[in-house]
Amino acid sequence: MENKNFQVNLQGLIDLLSNHLYSDAGVFIRELLQNGMDAITARRRLGHQFDAKVTVELYGSHTLAFHDNGCGLTASEIEQFLARIGSTTKKEQLDAADDFIGQFGVGLLACFVVCDEIVLITRSALEGDPLEWKGRPDGTYEIRKLKNQVPIGTTVYIKAKADYEEYFDYYRVSELLEHYGEFLPVPIELVEDKHKRIVNEAVPPWRMEKKEALDYGEKLRYQRAMDVIPLHSAIGGIEGVAYILPYSVSLQEEKKHKVYLKQMLLSDKLNNILPQWAFFVNGIMNTDSLRPTASRESFQENELFYTVRDELGSCIKQYLIDLSARDPELFKRIIGVHYASIKAMAVEDDELYELFIRHLSFETSYGTMDMDTIMKEHSAVLLAATLDEFRQIARVAKSQELLVINGGYVHDFALVRKIPDVWENADVALLDILQFSNRFQELDRADQLEVEPFLALSDELLQPHQCRSAIRWFEPADVPVLYNTNEEVQFLKLAEQSEKEANPLFADIVHVVMDELYDVPYARLCYNYNNPMVRKAVACKDPKLQQVCIELLYTQSLLMGHYPLSQEELRLMNGSLLQFMNMGLDQAVGGEA
Amino acid sequence: MKNRYNNLRYQTWSMPDGKAKLALMEEAIRIADQYLTEEDAYQSRMDYSSAALECGCPERLLVSFAWCLSKFERQPDQYSSHSIMWHYKWVLNQIWRMPQMTAEMIGQVFDDFKEKCLHYGYTLRPYYQQQVSYMLSQGRTEEAALYYKEWRSAARDGLSDCKACEQNLFGVYYFRLNQNKRGLQMLKPIMEGRMSCGSIPENTYGNLLGPLLKMKEYEQAKETAAKAYQVTNGPQYLKEYGTLMEYYTVTDMPKAVKLYERTIHLGLAFKMPWDRFHYLLSVRLFLQEWSKARRRKKLAASEQVTLEWLEQETRSLAAAFDARNGSDYCTLHIEEKEEQIRKLIAVYRKS
Repeated sequence: MENKNFQVNLQGLIDLLSNHLYSDAGVFIRELLQNGMDAITARRRLGHQFDAKVTVELYGSHTLAFHDNGCGLTASEIEQFLARIGSTTKKEQLDAADDFIGQFGVGLLACFVVCDEIVLITRSALEGDPLEWKGRPDGTYEIRKLKNQVPIGTTVYIKAKADYEEYFDYYRVSELLEHYGEFLPVPIELVEDKHKRIVNEAVPPWRMEKKEALDYGEKLRYQRAMDVIPLHSAIGGIEGVAYILPYSVSLQEEKKHKVYLKQMLLSDKLNNILPQWAFFVNGIMNTDSLRPTASRESFQENELFYTVRDELGSCIKQYLIDLSARDPELFKRIIGVHYASIKAMAVEDDELYELFIRHLSFETSYGTMDMDTIMKEHSAVLLAATLDEFRQIARVAKSQELLVINGGYVHDFALVRKIPDVWENADVALLDILQFSNRFQELDRADQLEVEPFLALSDELLQPHQCRSAIRWFEPADVPVLYNTNEEVQFLKLAEQSEKEANPLFADIVHVVMDELYDVPYARLCYNYNNPMVRKAVACKDPKLQQVCIELLYTQSLLMGHYPLSQEELRLMNGSLLQFMNMGLDQAVGGEA
Repeated sequence: MKNRYNNLRYQTWSMPDGKAKLALMEEAIRIADQYLTEEDAYQSRMDYSSAALECGCPERLLVSFAWCLSKFERQPDQYSSHSIMWHYKWVLNQIWRMPQMTAEMIGQVFDDFKEKCLHYGYTLRPYYQQQVSYMLSQGRTEEAALYYKEWRSAARDGLSDCKACEQNLFGVYYFRLNQNKRGLQMLKPIMEGRMSCGSIPENTYGNLLGPLLKMKEYEQAKETAAKAYQVTNGPQYLKEYGTLMEYYTVTDMPKAVKLYERTIHLGLAFKMPWDRFHYLLSVRLFLQEWSKARRRKKLAASEQVTLEWLEQETRSLAAAFDARNGSDYCTLHIEEKEEQIRKLIAVYRKS
């Protein structure tokens, strides 16, 4: 049997590249820059002394010449890189940082996204004769020796194909060169007619003094950062800065860090190079060691990548730890602005938790307080798991001198739960909402006897609504009843409805879920014997009137707690209201008579 | 009320997955039931069904689904048959995870699904796929093999799982048959990043870890675990957290502790018995190792989570599954796991 190569349709490949691999046609500039830089590096390695330079010259009719004075290519190298483009070299070899030729070919392909022919004139630093290579996207090419002498290096000529002319306009080329090559260590000169300009004189912000770096950031993003954090990662070969944003950002917001690979812009919207919790900073950095993906727009997420990310995270952490001692004023301001982010960080990391927790504020039954104050004034706290539970009891809890913290907001629950890690003597108890009213003062024996029939009636009336009754004495007196329910009560109401609605098979299934996985918890309605109206209702001894009171207090408490009323509950409320109205009117009419 | 309803729904979009999110959705459903149209009530329950899975309360899917299915059966022209059938697949994947569901009930659910597939013009591919999972959960590999064959030969259509999800399960199937090499091959396109979706590769890493260790591919296991540690995030991955915790129990105790602390409250609140069983079994293996040394640190929830309690809980869950399935597969699974971790510890000690 004979091994044969199958034909790869290069045209199809180009289409694939232009439409799928690269997100923007403008990358051909990046690829040309990369080729130029690699060639210059290679020539330096040969020991040549020369002033390295890249020149981009624009001509009329949308033609562009891209020249570098790097090592150039020999005839055999040209053959080789062309052979490499379509060959099945393994991915790792293709990505290897030093495989100049392999990358050269792939990089050149990106030009076919914007042109139909590439003319390349090159003179190698190793051999004498200049060469001209002409290639087309269908894979055909010619190569010939040139008679004229040209300097060592490579020039690529390309002419825009239809619809891509704008990529050859002065303003666009200039913008792209700056975009990708701003920090390249070799001067890039843009030439049109007699006008010449070096596009990349900038010093990268990680080489700047703090004030300059802040100025630079302001120019770039139109806003002044609160501070700038230096970033280093030895194993990732990373130098960079992270700007602390002057406004708060949401967790969901897409991060856009600007990342350079060997000083060439890789992406200005890389979202995962810093840890997820660090969403309050915007990074600009350069790496020498991370490996890019095939499109060269992001990095391969291997173990090295994650280690580097952790290392960068530590830079930010260490900065914050130092800052709290060095500049407490700024530290506080940062906390003020990036509250949500800092809470997320504190949950993730024990060290940061210790650093931040005393400065973080929480909603409590005594109003919003920072944890330092909370711990100074109370060693025992109750933690409510949901906003709903907190709301049910916040007002009453304060009257009982209980400090309840609302754990219903993102991260707050986890943060409060960890308090004993920092304050060893702190006592954090989870609020069991249905047991809450047990904390209130019980009635004395005589009162208890008196309220018994009223309670029995209440239990009987509210049984269909899965609610049990109790009477205690509590502050404040103007609250007649406290209605408590937990989130599972809501779910079980849904489940009951489903069981009624479902077909027989699924009614059984719902029944099993409810019965076996959930204890049916009853909601609690606790009457306040401290409230004059409740005492009157108990004292009136008229079961009819008592029933109306109970129904009205119950439905009113649901309304106050924003709970949706069922049909039956609505009917109760209407019925009892109308009855009261009637009684009032009867009295009025009777009084007049 | 429409405003309040919209507001609630809007709020849930930006909330992290968890019970608080479900509580708001429940309130929205009640409002829809009382004041809005039946379509609103239906749609908000359909949303709730998928959120229930993501929020770590898969049993609640059964409740909202039961209501929707009944409405659909009464007025099949009102609602999309594709959506309800898609949810039905989820139900098939959950129903056997409760030992309290009898084999007969489960059988009826499978039959009903099958019938509806045919009625609404879908192939039986997802039916066979779910049968494979159900059979594997009981260790009935011969039946699983028969269903697997049917699964692979039934045509793909709009009701089939996405290709990445299916590929992932092909791998799982071979792992469960202890054909690890074959399984690994199946997962290759996923591991090379050629196939992915909303839950792949997150799911894949966890499935891969055990087989890699069995095959003594320690380096690759290390990489896989590191990736899993980075990407696994959300209450629906309880079982995966357990798998990772086991691995780090052997290789990196501080990391195992971190995972434990991060997940134990979720695990304790998790009701679905199957997931709970596997997670608590992992916790037990972790705690056995942890307790071997004297420790200053007090672990979270240490009053409840003791070795005795874990032993009792895992044993009784296994017994309940075995009683329903008429086998001793789950009880044996506990022993097998203990044996595995013992071996693994020996290997890692040596190196």
